Amino acid sequence: MIILQIILFILAAPLLSGLITKLKNNLRMRKGQSVFQPYYNLAKLFLKDEVISETASWIFRITPCVVLSSTLVAAILIPVFIFSSSVHQMGDFFALVFILALARFFLALSALDTGSSFGGMGASREMFISSLVEPALCMVILSVGLQFGSTDISVFSGAHAITVSSVVAAAALFLIILAETSRIPVDNQETHLELTMVHEAMVLEYSGRSLALIEMASYIKQMIFFFLIAQLVFPIGKPIGTFCQIIFWVLWYLMRLGIIAIIVALVEVTMAKMRLFRVADFLGFAFVLGIVATVCAILGV
Amino acid sequence: MLNLLAKNLFLFDPLSLFFLAVIFIVSLPSLVYSFGYLKGEYSFAKIILAQILLFAFVLSMALVVSVSNCLIFLIFWEIMSLISYFLVVFDTKNARSIQAGLIYIVMTHIGTAFIIAAFMILYNHTHSFDFLAIKNACKILPSGTKDIIFLLFLIGFGTKAGIVPLHIWLPYAHPQAPSHISSIMSGVMIKTAIYGLIRFVISILGVNSSWWGVLIMILAVISCLVGIIYALMEHDIKRLLAYSSVENIGIILLGVGLAMFFISLNLPYLAVFSLIAGLYHLINHAIFKGLLFLCAGSVYKATGTRHIEKLGGLIKKMPQTAVYFLFGAMAISALPPLNGFVSEWLTLQAFFLGAFNVAGGSKIFLGICAAMLALTGGLAAACFVKVFGLTFLAKPRSHYAESAKEVALSMRIGMLILVVLIVIFGLAAALIIKLLAKVAGSVLGIDIGAMSFSLNNLTLSPQIAKSVYLSIPALALWLIVFGIISFVIYRIFGKAKSVISKTWDCGYYKFDSRNEYTATAFSKPFRIAFSFFLLPYRKTQKIRESFYHIKSFTYETHTTKVIKKYIYDPVLTLVFKTAKFMRRMQPGSIHLYLGYVFVTLLLLIIFMRQF
Amino acid sequence: MQGIILFVLLVSTYLMVIAKRTSALIRSFRYQSLCLFVITFSIALTQREPELYIVAGLLFILKVLLIPYLLYRIIRRIKVSEDLGLFINPQLSLLWALAFTYLSWIFASYIVSANNTILTGTLAIAFFVVSAGMFLMVFRMTALSQIIGLLVMENGLFLLASTVSGGMPFFVEIAIFFDVFVSVLIMGFFVYRINKLFTHIDVNKLSRLKG
Repeated sequence: MIILQIILFILAAPLLSGLITKLKNNLRMRKGQSVFQPYYNLAKLFLKDEVISETASWIFRITPCVVLSSTLVAAILIPVFIFSSSVHQMGDFFALVFILALARFFLALSALDTGSSFGGMGASREMFISSLVEPALCMVILSVGLQFGSTDISVFSGAHAITVSSVVAAAALFLIILAETSRIPVDNQETHLELTMVHEAMVLEYSGRSLALIEMASYIKQMIFFFLIAQLVFPIGKPIGTFCQIIFWVLWYLMRLGIIAIIVALVEVTMAKMRLFRVADFLGFAFVLGIVATVCAILGV
Repeated sequence: MLNLLAKNLFLFDPLSLFFLAVIFIVSLPSLVYSFGYLKGEYSFAKIILAQILLFAFVLSMALVVSVSNCLIFLIFWEIMSLISYFLVVFDTKNARSIQAGLIYIVMTHIGTAFIIAAFMILYNHTHSFDFLAIKNACKILPSGTKDIIFLLFLIGFGTKAGIVPLHIWLPYAHPQAPSHISSIMSGVMIKTAIYGLIRFVISILGVNSSWWGVLIMILAVISCLVGIIYALMEHDIKRLLAYSSVENIGIILLGVGLAMFFISLNLPYLAVFSLIAGLYHLINHAIFKGLLFLCAGSVYKATGTRHIEKLGGLIKKMPQTAVYFLFGAMAISALPPLNGFVSEWLTLQAFFLGAFNVAGGSKIFLGICAAMLALTGGLAAACFVKVFGLTFLAKPRSHYAESAKEVALSMRIGMLILVVLIVIFGLAAALIIKLLAKVAGSVLGIDIGAMSFSLNNLTLSPQIAKSVYLSIPALALWLIVFGIISFVIYRIFGKAKSVISKTWDCGYYKFDSRNEYTATAFSKPFRIAFSFFLLPYRKTQKIRESFYHIKSFTYETHTTKVIKKYIYDPVLTLVFKTAKFMRRMQPGSIHLYLGYVFVTLLLLIIFMRQF
Repeated sequence: MQGIILFVLLVSTYLMVIAKRTSALIRSFRYQSLCLFVITFSIALTQREPELYIVAGLLFILKVLLIPYLLYRIIRRIKVSEDLGLFINPQLSLLWALAFTYLSWIFASYIVSANNTILTGTLAIAFFVVSAGMFLMVFRMTALSQIIGLLVMENGLFLLASTVSGGMPFFVEIAIFFDVFVSVLIMGFFVYRINKLFTHIDVNKLSRLKG
């Protein structure tokens, strides 16, 4: 089942990103690229040559593998199909956060490795944003944990009632997702101007297969976060009953991700990217939302 | 009589054994390292002196944690401070070393004064210096006295440990000492202060009021944040590591303070768990901070400078040191599967388990403390990305870095030992938690038989119903498996090849080290985000030949050292003013001085009937 | 009998306080030590302990014979003027001495009830001798006067101890004697060095030990 989960992630993650891009383009009154464009991009990247900078060291070369592997390890911690198994006894919510931090650490190091200003800038901004994300994420975990009694991820994987606390926590988590997956208003994935890029600046020097691995990792990370929010706001239990009900269950399972993708696309299109130093206020707001969620959880609402 | 004295003198209970283990785990690699480090730096006689002082230092620390008598404790505490002072000013030709030594010795003696005051009050009430006797007598001490003793111990040991605002000597003393001494000081000596706190406050004094734990936790959170924010602003590797030690002491004290909080609320198993978290972080920090200081020493020895903005590209020149530093940086940023991750995870879990089990307002307080801990974790990762990235990666920024060579074998062996320990303490986490549970149980006097720690999960019965899981070996295994899979994906797909070429430089014809990001630039977002605390200011100077032609432009940016400026400088100014005023009492005439003596004598004799 | 000796002791102390020349000071010190010896000897006779005889003998040898001889030798070697620099003129010093005698009598009568006049008187005189030593150290300029002040203080303490409490322990007394003797030797040497370096022994001019 774990293998199935991994393969699902690897195969479906670019689709999610393609969906969001298509939605954004449609909202901008353009036809836009097809939903499967990320797959074509990845295939193209695998066929291309790779240029490695002469100032780069072995860290630059191993980073794609480290990033992809840690993102995959984070992915198997999420209960997608199986709601608790021996694999999930490997780590909890915090382990998830720290494993993703491992990926980010190496990505920032590789950005500094090439010796270009873009890389340093990207690394600096990325570490800044991620360190401000941490307290907000911690409060969200606390509120979720207070509601369910443990910080284990499989704890809220069954069907549960939607409470005010989980809605507010989901809102805070949404803001965090915007920061972590480099979406507007925190970062723009479609630009390569040095004034506006954060994540793209870090991976600017990567090309060819390495870039394919890193892109794949970022898609999977996005999928992980979307799963978390989906489970929080639209909780779903085990599939039961007849074949038709199972089909509906599967559809609903996938549609919740779609709903969140639609919301993300709407946010991206309607807002402008914030100045970097205002991101601190933005994430501070997420932190406050997290505190509100915790208070609601304490009050039992 | 002498062996009776010896029997009562040493106390080898699990806490002392644990601290002895910490001391020796960090001191042995430093000893190995010192052979290569001191070789070219000083004359042979001075090297012998350095090694003798090192032995004496380690011995005095080992004795501090194992005696069971207050007086002897104080004696060895003083000896430890004095020997470390001599080691800090070892480089006597350097004026900054002398200044650092002065600040250090003054601060540590202020701390010792507070400890002596606490001991005196204890003796007054219990009429004994022996730990066990005091422990029994402290059960009936009035609570107000206990509060005063606790505050005295907190200030006294806090000065040595480096709690904000008493940390001011750390950034001066640790950079100036020789690197292996810095690693022992930062790794072990400040932990003896934590030993003092645990032994005297938790074990002997007995925690009854919950505000003790809350106070320690607040101070710890402040230390964490202040330490890491100042570390982000520093560009001298060793000063940065010193500030990072302040931060990590804060994390350790979060665990310890949490334990005190839970004891006072009568939640014994949670207290044991938090103390395990604190002690685990203690030994982890000793190992990886010791390693980082040794690596910084290697960098200094190879290049001659500690300034990040003059280094760069060392990974190609000093490949092994770079790998060791990378391990240390990963460990201190709490990345799995190394040991720093385990101890930070344990501390966060202790907060969360506490939040499940305490009343309403405390839940929010514990949650906010946990959030601040997460924030410092993120900031620490940023800080060490900066250090490692700018020191070792990209191109050399100056001739210092260009002329670097790998360091001597003994230094590398010393660092390698600590790297191996980092990995072991990460993978064997379950085993170490079991050992630490015994230590914590003995300190708190709680039977830990009901707690069970299996390889994967940490079940705290009867406290909570649901268990949490963490298995470092499994994580490491899956990381390696997926790493291999991604490598396989990388290799088998596509027939493409890699080409080595220059970095993209936007079309400039000259790409050199001036293009790279600097340390000041890397930390600028943090400087602006935390500017309410850092109060940065800049000084510029323009020299113009004419109105249109600027010949030179100097730009300096500084951060205000808030604590130094608003707390210490006024106090020092007051002390000096008072001293100047008292100078008038000493005009130089012997007769006047004799007159002072006799008048005092007479007054004492006349009024002696009062006593 | 004891009263007369005590009176002579008092008078010799007054002589020391009003002395204007160094040799006069040393002479009065000699008389004072002689009186002290007589008192001690009489106590030794009544108590009949061999230790007290030894102490009295040491007192005679050291304080009556040896130390004044050493002090005279120092004066001869240094060849400074005989003037003992005075901060307070002799008449005022005498007034001070009388006032202090009265004050120490009051103090002594607080400690010991006033009906035992001999004991009170001895105590008062002992206190006064000690304070006279202090007076000499503070209000006289030369270094020699400070040495002698110290010796006078020691005399007073000896008197106090031996009359009020039957003497200090034997070894303590021997040690104190030895101590005093050696300190006189050392201080003599120092006075010689001070004179060689500064060509005077006026301590008032040595004022670099400032704050």
